[in-house]
Amino acid sequence: MSGIDDLGGFLRLLRTELGLQLSDRDAYTDLADVEGWDSLHLLRLVSLLEDETGRRIPVRQVLEARTFQQIHSLVAGGARAAAP
Amino acid sequence: MTTGLERLRELKALGRLEAEYDRVAPLLAELTDDPGTSAAADLPRAGRLLAGLDRAAVLAAHPGTPVVTVAVTGQSTVAQLVDPLTAELARHGLLLHPVLGDHGAYLHDLTSEQGLFHGLGADLSLCLLDAETVFSEVPLPWDVAALSRAADGVLERLTGLAAEHARLAGTADGTGGTLVLNTLPLLRRHTHQLVDHRSRARLGAVWREFNAALLRLTERFPGLAVIDLDPLIADTGPVLDPRLAGYAKAQYTAALLAAYAREAAHLARSLRGMTKKCLVLDLDDTLWDGILGDAGADGIAAAGTLRGEAFGAFQRTVKQLGSQGVLLAVSSKNDAEPVLAVLRDHPDMVLRETDFVQVNANWRPKDGNVADIADRLGIGLDSLVLADDSPAERAQVRHGAPQVAVVPLDDEPALHVTRLLADGWFDTPRLTDEDRARTGQYRVERERRELREGSGSHADFLRELKVGVELSAPLGHEFARLAQLTQRTNQFNLTGLRLAQPDLEARAADPRQLVLVARATDRFGDNGLVGAVLGHRAADGLHLDNIWLSCRVLARGIEQGCVAVLLERARDAGLAAVHARYRPTAKNHRVRDFYPSLGFEEVGEDGDGAGVLLRHDLRTVLPVPEHLTLDARIERLDAGGPNDGHDRNDGPEGDRR
Repeated sequence: MSGIDDLGGFLRLLRTELGLQLSDRDAYTDLADVEGWDSLHLLRLVSLLEDETGRRIPVRQVLEARTFQQIHSLVAGGARAAAP
Repeated sequence: MTTGLERLRELKALGRLEAEYDRVAPLLAELTDDPGTSAAADLPRAGRLLAGLDRAAVLAAHPGTPVVTVAVTGQSTVAQLVDPLTAELARHGLLLHPVLGDHGAYLHDLTSEQGLFHGLGADLSLCLLDAETVFSEVPLPWDVAALSRAADGVLERLTGLAAEHARLAGTADGTGGTLVLNTLPLLRRHTHQLVDHRSRARLGAVWREFNAALLRLTERFPGLAVIDLDPLIADTGPVLDPRLAGYAKAQYTAALLAAYAREAAHLARSLRGMTKKCLVLDLDDTLWDGILGDAGADGIAAAGTLRGEAFGAFQRTVKQLGSQGVLLAVSSKNDAEPVLAVLRDHPDMVLRETDFVQVNANWRPKDGNVADIADRLGIGLDSLVLADDSPAERAQVRHGAPQVAVVPLDDEPALHVTRLLADGWFDTPRLTDEDRARTGQYRVERERRELREGSGSHADFLRELKVGVELSAPLGHEFARLAQLTQRTNQFNLTGLRLAQPDLEARAADPRQLVLVARATDRFGDNGLVGAVLGHRAADGLHLDNIWLSCRVLARGIEQGCVAVLLERARDAGLAAVHARYRPTAKNHRVRDFYPSLGFEEVGEDGDGAGVLLRHDLRTVLPVPEHLTLDARIERLDAGGPNDGHDRNDGPEGDRR
């Protein structure tokens, strides 16, 4: 399961697993303005990303992130370094 | 090969999911056919797809789709429950209409006239509680005595909630839906805040006494169900993720919510009369280890070896289900003779020939065999569950008889029991004496059939059958069975109405209403409570609101006899007429002409035009069929009886308890 290290792969995962219709530009859209997004998706995303990466992710920062790009930077590659 | 989930995604991408909603349940059945691997993850994914459905569009394309309205509220975040609940209900062909309350405000949601659920008519009201329900009321620092006081307070509040729900269900516009609570899990993060073992042990005891008292509330309130989370947690693992609990008030993991949703969906299904009635079992590698046709009776085992013992455990579980009214049948690709010989004589067998109401051992396709079994038992194909270890046979039945629920077994017999019980196919709100005696009754039914085949004519058969009927108000202990009869009877149900026990009790207590039950006997024994009549009196005469009759006793003149006696009594009481209604449902077309055959005339359409109103002018009343011995005690119809047209009730707002 490669895939979420680059932002495009991360967005693909969101489209398939959360059933969201996202364009590539939505990576930088404020989550409040993303169509179909609600806070429940964050809860699913947390377990999804931990399954996907096999690592613990910094939950609080993910919950507080404002864009998909920010979430992606928290979990791709250097996730561990970002943990509190 | 594409999986069920991929096909759902395709339909969604094409915007066809609503238009092809009838394909959803079969696709989900395919998806859950392989419990070992992907199903656990795929079902919630499917739920996510389906939760986004446009309900109105589904109903426009498939107007017959049953909608289940579920009010969801609770202590913490409850919205996460919607996806798994959507998926679990969709498996049964049910369409979820979720209404979410405000978390933390469950008392207000459920009981206030300003509450979100007021007048909603929810089929189920799920009130999802968690440990915080108690711990949020415990001061800091705390000890077991403080916790015990908090638990008492919560229990009192929940008892009040159940009582208020029961009271609302009994009011005129009450809907009688079921309130669902759950036991509260106690976690290590609670117990180990106490450092001494004695206090910890006391905490464990107090907590379980609270849960036990909660479970016992179901004895007092028939409209209440309490889901015990402990057995679910034992299967799913962690109760919560402390990070999501802390940051997002998610007190339960997705896996536990999925398990809870499955229980709730089976509850909804059973309340709609969709309880499965018959378990059809394969034999080779399902009931015993080995292939009878290859290895012979000496080469199969259900005891004595490690694998054999696993099959023995499975047989004992099946027998346990059978003791509670689940009819057992066999569909196996085998020759009939050796199969019967094994069921009679093989020393390993827990299940014997007499445990089965039907044994189909032959070489014809299984979809035809399950249809034959349903036909012989006089039940619908949708009342059947098939357990089979062969993926090919399961697929054949799923395609040829898609109404049949299919339990996937495989080559690991130690998992057979878990898989059989993974779904509550036979869940029922309450078990009655009739249930326990059902297998025996179906066997007696076979003797009746033999009498019928040996009799010259149907009239001869009825005379020899010596049918006796008792028609009277229900006795206290009969309400559970009465509710079950209204919920399970599909064919002889003239309006499709189903009632819950509290509603029936409220109607029986109202002197303006008529609630009667029919108990039948014949020369082979007691049939028990087999029919019911619901009616009410009005200025223009007696109204028959509905009649139910168990399909086991159709065509014995019982239904004609009961209506004939009601017409007679109505005439004797000087009433102007008897009115009745027929509303077609998916399954009651056979009784469309029931009222006209007894002299009723159609006088108009029912409110929305879906049904017909009928009227009997009482000028010519057909007699009770002569082969019937009918004992009718209908005080509420007798002239000068307790209700002689006067309203002596306190009124709906009266101070009744």
